Amino acid sequence: MMFFQRIGSFFDIVSGLATDPATLVILFGSVLLGIIFGAMPGLTSTLGIALLTALTYSMDTPIAMVCLLAIYVGGTYGGSYSSILLNIPGTAAAAATAMDGYPLACRGEGGRAIGLTTTSSAIGTIVSMLFVVSISPVISMFALQFTSFEFFLLAFFGILISGTLTSPDLVIKGWIAGFLGLFLACIGRDQLQFYPRFTYGIPDLESGIEVVPVLIGAFGIPQIIGVLKDKFHIGKAQKLQRIIPEFGTVLKNIPAIIRSALIGVGIGAVPGIGEDIAGWVSYGTAKNTSKHPETFGKGELKGVIASETANNACVGGAMIPLLNLGIPGSPPAAMLLGALMLHGVTPGPMITFEHPTFILEVAAILLLASIAMWITGMVLAKQVVKVLRIPTQIFMPVIGMLCIIGSYSLGLNIFNLYLMLPVGIISYFLIEMGYPIAPLVIGVILGPMADENVRRALMVSQGSFMPIFQRPVSLILFLIIVWTIASQLPWYKKLTVRLKQSLIRKK
Amino acid sequence: MMDKDKLRKADIFSGGVIFLAGAFIVSQAFKMPMKDSWGGVQNVWYVSPAIFPLFVGAIIMLLGGLLVRTALKEVGIKTLINVGSFLLSSDFIRFLKLEKNLRFYAIITVLLSFVYLFIPRVDFFLSAIEFLLVFICIFHLEENTLLTKLFLFYSAQILIFILFLISGLEAYFSSYISYPGDWMVLIFILTFAVFAIRLCKGNDRLKKKFRTSLIVAVAAPVIVGVAFKYLLLVPMPFEGIVVELMDFIWYF
Repeated sequence: MMFFQRIGSFFDIVSGLATDPATLVILFGSVLLGIIFGAMPGLTSTLGIALLTALTYSMDTPIAMVCLLAIYVGGTYGGSYSSILLNIPGTAAAAATAMDGYPLACRGEGGRAIGLTTTSSAIGTIVSMLFVVSISPVISMFALQFTSFEFFLLAFFGILISGTLTSPDLVIKGWIAGFLGLFLACIGRDQLQFYPRFTYGIPDLESGIEVVPVLIGAFGIPQIIGVLKDKFHIGKAQKLQRIIPEFGTVLKNIPAIIRSALIGVGIGAVPGIGEDIAGWVSYGTAKNTSKHPETFGKGELKGVIASETANNACVGGAMIPLLNLGIPGSPPAAMLLGALMLHGVTPGPMITFEHPTFILEVAAILLLASIAMWITGMVLAKQVVKVLRIPTQIFMPVIGMLCIIGSYSLGLNIFNLYLMLPVGIISYFLIEMGYPIAPLVIGVILGPMADENVRRALMVSQGSFMPIFQRPVSLILFLIIVWTIASQLPWYKKLTVRLKQSLIRKK
Repeated sequence: MMDKDKLRKADIFSGGVIFLAGAFIVSQAFKMPMKDSWGGVQNVWYVSPAIFPLFVGAIIMLLGGLLVRTALKEVGIKTLINVGSFLLSSDFIRFLKLEKNLRFYAIITVLLSFVYLFIPRVDFFLSAIEFLLVFICIFHLEENTLLTKLFLFYSAQILIFILFLISGLEAYFSSYISYPGDWMVLIFILTFAVFAIRLCKGNDRLKKKFRTSLIVAVAAPVIVGVAFKYLLLVPMPFEGIVVELMDFIWYF
């Protein structure tokens, strides 16, 4: 009965949104903006969400969510345009798409590739939406059993796993970035005793560091510096022909699309891991399971479909831990969490009680956004491609101005700007030195949760850590954390190699 | 991102800085109440506000130290001496003058001056036009000599503005005209535009690029500013002559 009630509510919300002309205008406008953001090399969906957060601040929460989720979906898909037509991924999420997309465009099949990626991206988003609807209640119910120790360990695990998987260089750098984020979260009055920590008498720091300006700085400013410093030039785009996909080809590739969508959802659900990793893992899987792996990298449609389906499915996947545990599944989801908090919605296990229909609303918006993305992609692809002609030297300064006014407008506080810029410049240097930024941001977001819960847990246990070993979920999380750390140690790596060798010898 | 060899060298320094940052966090955390009374409440160690910063600081210290150790193991202690001698040599000065570094200084200067100097003191529209005009021209005109000249010209403007503020001239002029800082920046915009036009003289490609830069530099703040100020009802960080004029037109 509950299930049918949920289905009924879901379709009520879908029809409510789809029949409201204002919502539709915002939906299509945001998807289009997202596609443009995704298509422009140097701009990302994270940055798009960051900038729109400022614009949607005064809107009602459901409308703001339509705007932000639509730009997320559109931005993730839009990266494929420049990947296919220019061989420059518009976003990191579309990097794997360029491998086969550009050779296809060189062969005069760019339109066909974009048509197929549009369709597979839409299917990927819809599959992920189904997971949001079906899995969320289960995770929420499960998470309600969590105590403070579990929440602390979960936050700690989120930072560790994000640091481990997103680090482009040494894993230790990912962890450092995460802990630097946790330190930033310590600034301000602590939540239990209101003791001022690291404020040094500056009144603006008393309430802690505002998350959104930090996010805008960490994602926006390094992008602007990087693109303008390295004299980034956009080449001439390949021509676009017929875009409408052959449905026969789509049907033939349905198993590959479903598999890639499942990979995307799975990877999206891991805290802090973005669409880029989903795209590469899915591409790798498609290549490894193909009967003709030699065709990959030379214009194989399956390669393009695999990466694009997975990166869009990651959107829904990232929503699952975000909505149910308050832990963002990807950098854009981290940005979305900041926006939700501004609107007074605190994601976590209590969301189903505080906002009973919120998860269904998110799922409904994802469904509508994927449909809007498909329609916009089919109708406006040829027009959107024209934005690729705008030189980066022109739009990057404008983005800089938007980052600045956006950071200011969220709290009407100039101090946010004073904070945003140094965070951005430090982030740029960190990126240059091989430190990932996603764990830093996740650290800033999860810091208060980790701090509050570890102290609350210790208060309940009178300073004892024993409950970690007495509660099954805590113990499992603790063991996973120990394993995550141990797996990076040299002796563990040597041990696993020896074990593997001895197993092979026995066989 | 740098190549692997450079990364390891940089790791020695970044790891060292991170280790020191961790030590600083720990030292500051020790100043927080551990078992003392705070706000009339007797503390116990496990609810102390110091517990989490201590944990974070200690781990940052540990990781920073590990990073230095890993980097030193890979590149050897000799690298430190080599880096030290490079920093003291003329090669370092040449490195600082590389075009990409000049571009970096320009980006940082434009961003810092906009945020810390102009936004809090000058009408948003004027400061944004100045910011965009300088920023776009420097990079869109795409010639190293022009970049240097325009950057130096802008740096001189910043210097003049700082002198204008600290010499008390702003306070002096404000008794005669309203918003003297705005008028100053308006003069900066005009002089920068004239300077850029002179540099583009005789080159149609550059002239066209300058025109585009000027249009974007004026149009973008107007569109964004009007959207924030009049549609989203967000007051601008500083409202001066242009906002007053726009208020007059909007509410007429």
